[in-house]
Amino acid sequence: MKKLFSTQIVIPVDSNSVLQGALEVKHLLEETIRTYNLASQVSVVETGALGIYDQGVVLAVFPDDVYYGNVTPSDIQEIVTEHLLKGRVVKRLAIDRSLSSRRMVEKETGKSQQKIVLRNAGLIDPQSIDEYIARDGYAALAKALAMQPGEVIQVLTDSKLQGRGGAGFPTGLKWGMVAKEQSDEKYIVCNADEGEPGTFKDRLILEGDPHSIVEAMAIAGYATGAHIGIVYVRGEYVMSIARLKKAIADATAYGLLGDGILGTGFSFNLEVYRGGGAYVCGEEFALLESIENQRGEPRNKPPFPPQRGLFGKPTVVNNVETFANVPPILLNGSEWFRSFGTPSSAGTKVFSLSGDIVNRGIVEAPMGTTLRELVYDFGGGITGGRHIGFLQTGGSAGTVVSERELDVPLDFSSMKTSNVSLGSGVILVASEDVPLLPFLAEVAHFFWHESCGRCTPCREGTLQVKTILDALVSRTADPAALQRLSRLMNTFTNTSFCGLGQAVPLAFESALRNFPQVFEQALAASHVPEASAESV
Amino acid sequence: MEPDKKVQSPEKATALSVEDRAFLQEVVERDRVEHHGRVSYMDILFEVEHRYGNFLPGEVLREVARLVGTSVAQLNGFVTFYTMLSTKPRGRHVIRVCTSGPCHVTGAPAVMAELERLLGVGEGETTPDGAFTLEGSSCLGICGVSPALMIDDDAYGNLTPKDLPGILAAVRAGGAQ
Repeated sequence: MKKLFSTQIVIPVDSNSVLQGALEVKHLLEETIRTYNLASQVSVVETGALGIYDQGVVLAVFPDDVYYGNVTPSDIQEIVTEHLLKGRVVKRLAIDRSLSSRRMVEKETGKSQQKIVLRNAGLIDPQSIDEYIARDGYAALAKALAMQPGEVIQVLTDSKLQGRGGAGFPTGLKWGMVAKEQSDEKYIVCNADEGEPGTFKDRLILEGDPHSIVEAMAIAGYATGAHIGIVYVRGEYVMSIARLKKAIADATAYGLLGDGILGTGFSFNLEVYRGGGAYVCGEEFALLESIENQRGEPRNKPPFPPQRGLFGKPTVVNNVETFANVPPILLNGSEWFRSFGTPSSAGTKVFSLSGDIVNRGIVEAPMGTTLRELVYDFGGGITGGRHIGFLQTGGSAGTVVSERELDVPLDFSSMKTSNVSLGSGVILVASEDVPLLPFLAEVAHFFWHESCGRCTPCREGTLQVKTILDALVSRTADPAALQRLSRLMNTFTNTSFCGLGQAVPLAFESALRNFPQVFEQALAASHVPEASAESV
Repeated sequence: MEPDKKVQSPEKATALSVEDRAFLQEVVERDRVEHHGRVSYMDILFEVEHRYGNFLPGEVLREVARLVGTSVAQLNGFVTFYTMLSTKPRGRHVIRVCTSGPCHVTGAPAVMAELERLLGVGEGETTPDGAFTLEGSSCLGICGVSPALMIDDDAYGNLTPKDLPGILAAVRAGGAQ
């Protein structure tokens, strides 16, 4: 039995908070609480990110429901003596809670918000399996184990859940494909190689609620007949890896992983593999190759992973966010899930807001939320009261759009209907002070660096795109540069071996379409240096 | 790149000691247990790289290849694919500056330029004293506090060029690995 405390102070210790000094603040807070003999009444609880990244180290005091922002070690004495001892809120540090609730919890501007994926992040101690269980954790697994595997898949199919990594493949269909394969072994793989620039949502889920992934993968194992799950986490996510390993160990100790789970005949084990800094390993076959100790290069499709995946066996590969949706769907039903979002896209999306935006951070909003709502209502607008220069949605492999697209609702169909990509949910805002061409040159440099080199269109094409963009930036482009760029885009789309190469044109084509004058001006101002006229 | 800026560690390329071999064997066996009879080259090589000064000397790779039962060529192909692994000597601390979109928009170019000035080396190079290797990196997934960088396993965010001397000094002071 846990001790009952009258006051609880929650402090996020996700990577972002730690690098702003959260651990130092936490240690000093605990020490000061002991000094004032408050240790029996006040508990300090570590939690995952609250989704507030622009307020430095944040503390939340419950049940008072007071949030403090930009807390430094020198503030601790005052918080303890004023708030904890005398019950007086330290006003100079208090932050408007509506700020956080607007971004993460409640309804605002007429659009109801629902936390499905982030239901626990910031509310529970992610390292405590008991707190996860207290919030219906592992209840979905227990419910699934009492159903037939086919019934579990049917619930997911009916929910219309689609993959959240960018491709949007129906999850129930994928699980069903693996379930009907006859094989001595099958695998459940979680793609946590979050590498799409501007995406940091999976990190928040893994650090803030790791058990949700453990539970969902066990459910996937039961539904498809798999007994081994592997989470492939990118190598830089040191804390995500640690949290996940602890969650796996605790779940195993509780009999929620391992042999004979919850007294049934079902067995499931989980392992963590780490990435080595390769963007291409976000591609499902490249990821499986990497787990098999190979270079992360994609394979031919078909066969697809549900037929021949890891070690040649039928394999489910789902994104972290996709898995995090699974337990609530099983508990609340498919109809409940479909009540959020749009006809083409059920549920919510976790968006990563970054760049020149006031409230940088993570937002979970229903599918169909517009760019304007994300940038102005949740994001608080552009820093310094400036105007938008351009936006990039969906990641580096996503569209570059202008203010004219602000009212486009974002979901899986917005690319088709409005040429604005949803991708992994990146909303990167650049103010009017950011020049477009150097930004695109950086995007080109990124693809050139991250191309795995397997197929010629991507390996050589990314170098050519980079060369053209660099020439436009330095005003040394030759008159045919833009035609060559357009031709290259067709080559990528039609001949690249994998989805990553095929997605390279998204940023450049959309930028050419939405900002033609920027390219034309750069071209008009260009002078080809004589010595290098033959290059490119 | 000027050749005299490269750090050479010839002593690392000599034959392995008994302790080295025991260490490598232990790392591989521990990983085999964790992965139920399989091994993860990545896990093993991260740990090994850490011990040998942020890179994988040829002799070490040869021994790891023998222990995991593969060829040196295959293992070398694996290592050279992943940017977090290196077969070339690096400094005691590896600085990875994110240059991707969100950091670019909020000031990464100025951060990189200032680091090059402070360290006197370019991207991909190591300081003459062997303390730092400066690398550009793709997105580090901490875009909420851009521009950001990592030094070894520690992340630093909301950077301005004037923050950098203090960070470097702190790492130098605390960092005799």
